[in-house]
Amino acid sequence: MAEIEIASPAPKAERAKPAELVQLIVFRLGDEDYGIRIEQVKEVTVTPEVARMPKTPPFIKGIANLRGDIIAIIDLEERFRLRPAGRPLPERSYTVAVEAADYTLGLMVREVPRPFTLPLSQIEPPPEFVQDSSTRDKYLEGIAKLPEGGIIIVLDMRKLLTPSEVMRLPGKVASS
Amino acid sequence: MKTRDQEYRELFMAEALEYYDSMSRHLSELERNPDAGPALNELFRLMHNLKANARAMGFTDLGEVAHHLETLFGLIRDRERTFSGSLIQVVFTGVDALGNMIRAVGANQPLPDVATLLENLDRLVRGEEPVLDDEDLVETDEEAGRKMELSDLVYIQVKKLDNLLNLVGELVIDRDRIMTLAQEIDNPALLATAQHLFRISDDLQYSVMDARLVGVGVLLNKFPRVVRDVAAAEEKQVELMMSGQDVQIDRNILQIITDALLHLVRNAVSHGLETTQERLASGKPAVGQLTLSALTERDDVLIQVRDDGRGIDTEAVRRKAIDRGLTTAKAAAKLDEHAIWAFLFEPGFSMAQQVTDISGRGVGLDVVKLALDSLGGQLRVESEMGAGTTFTLVLPTSIAVKGALLVEVDERPYAVPLLHTETVLALHPGQISVVGGVLVTHFHEQAVPLVPLRQLLFDEGDEPLPPATKTDMNGPQHVLVVNYNNRRLGLVVDRFMRQQNIVIKPLSKPLDTIDLFGGVTLLGSGQVCLVLDVPALNRLFLNKRP
Repeated sequence: MAEIEIASPAPKAERAKPAELVQLIVFRLGDEDYGIRIEQVKEVTVTPEVARMPKTPPFIKGIANLRGDIIAIIDLEERFRLRPAGRPLPERSYTVAVEAADYTLGLMVREVPRPFTLPLSQIEPPPEFVQDSSTRDKYLEGIAKLPEGGIIIVLDMRKLLTPSEVMRLPGKVASS
Repeated sequence: MKTRDQEYRELFMAEALEYYDSMSRHLSELERNPDAGPALNELFRLMHNLKANARAMGFTDLGEVAHHLETLFGLIRDRERTFSGSLIQVVFTGVDALGNMIRAVGANQPLPDVATLLENLDRLVRGEEPVLDDEDLVETDEEAGRKMELSDLVYIQVKKLDNLLNLVGELVIDRDRIMTLAQEIDNPALLATAQHLFRISDDLQYSVMDARLVGVGVLLNKFPRVVRDVAAAEEKQVELMMSGQDVQIDRNILQIITDALLHLVRNAVSHGLETTQERLASGKPAVGQLTLSALTERDDVLIQVRDDGRGIDTEAVRRKAIDRGLTTAKAAAKLDEHAIWAFLFEPGFSMAQQVTDISGRGVGLDVVKLALDSLGGQLRVESEMGAGTTFTLVLPTSIAVKGALLVEVDERPYAVPLLHTETVLALHPGQISVVGGVLVTHFHEQAVPLVPLRQLLFDEGDEPLPPATKTDMNGPQHVLVVNYNNRRLGLVVDRFMRQQNIVIKPLSKPLDTIDLFGGVTLLGSGQVCLVLDVPALNRLFLNKRP
């Protein structure tokens, strides 16, 4: 996919002022593109060896050593139930290390994440009807519509990464 | 190497000089504003501390002067005297005298005579006018002419040492990694450098750990007062003996066990030891003996609280445990006394006043257990009815590095702190029996339940484990026997890897809520290794046993 540069035609031509830009790190979950604001991303790396962590929900793949920090590795496809049938995560996957308030988490993704810049105005708040309809939508910052078609779902990591969210065990605490 | 005496003297000097400097500062403040409450309180506190330190070091005169000044500042604080007139003069003379005496201690010279000063201070305390001779009136400018002194010691916040220790921990992990890589690459120059790095970081680690060590005496010396107070309140006669104040231990460990030790000592006086009448009636000396001692055993530090009191009434504890539903009468009958005493450390167990009265033991002993658990320590109990009880806290010397046994389950390494391991066994299926759905073997004539570590770690849900069978047991079973609170548990693992010193990192959020793991460590190979928390494993097993 080509990066959309500042030069891409703005929706409204009379706007001469440079629009406020947002940089995202975009990755694929299931068949959809997801993005996280680059400020929330610490680094992108090939997934290090992950040690399985007993007594954690299945979407926590385990813990890994990321430059001396031990971080939890999370599988969002499993968390959001987006995993296409018969398509397990490949041997070589990538990890996006994202920073929550006081700790770091790794998000495991199947393809190389890529940077992407777009004007803030292109991110629309999520439509009312999807709010609270499923777990995923609670963490949406908005949906970016791309001029050439296609959308990027922008996640708000701060909502996603609260300890109670991460540790929510299926069946144990009823999801609100 | 400095002797302990020298070290204590230096510590005393450093503190005393600091007190002296603060005293001078607060005195000037008081001179400007005779009603300055904070300055008065500070002076009172400084005198009190200096008095205590001086007396502990055997500098009686120094302690006396500080004591008199403390009394005087107490009177001023209570508005029975005012900071004015001849009192000011005597106080300044007194503080100067303290300074001279402290310096004399530092220079190893005899302390100057302070008889006149003490008499004057006495007069002031009694409310009389001091007798000032001319010498006192002539204020020499001695103070101005004296050289300024800086102490040879620096005070450092424990937080800074903690940080240093963490950094060294990280360094050691990377060092191990470099060592492994160097061995793999097999380049002589790299290997030599790696070995040098190994030695240096070892020294560094040792030095940082050493900087954090304090004598156990720092804590023990607070107990004579506690014992006296509790004994007075209980109207008992107690003689406290202490030994091993020089034994070195990490300052933070000492901090963590402070409450636990306080608890044990109070308990020993108020419940362990009998009243004078009771003692005489049972043919014991009237004065109860309480011993607080510290000693080293291998890499551990043991702190013992021993009394020659009435001892634990094992049968009363056994009945109580059954009453409270902690065990069944049938199971309890088979437990030996150590297993019964372990109930004393169950949360809430001892809160029942009844047990305290009967057995004389156990108000909130679970506090002790919790403190030890958080350190990875152990508690040993020895007791004989009528002869007394000994509680032994087994503590690591340092929190940073722990000896651990590495075991493997499903090709993943797990570390078990050595403090909780008892033995490793290779058992043939014939040596294992199934009792009530639980695998059991006999070790030292005691039945030890066995559980596959895999099952304990990875079986989901809260329901009990499936009843164990021996059907899928092939060949010898590798069993690691762990001991917690005198309860043994055999963990069946795939294989034993090796024994190793590990640096434990705490688990970061959000995983720190899982109590099954005491933390995580990185092996030389770069592999992440979870450190098992034996107390939590034990609890999990008790909750899930079929």
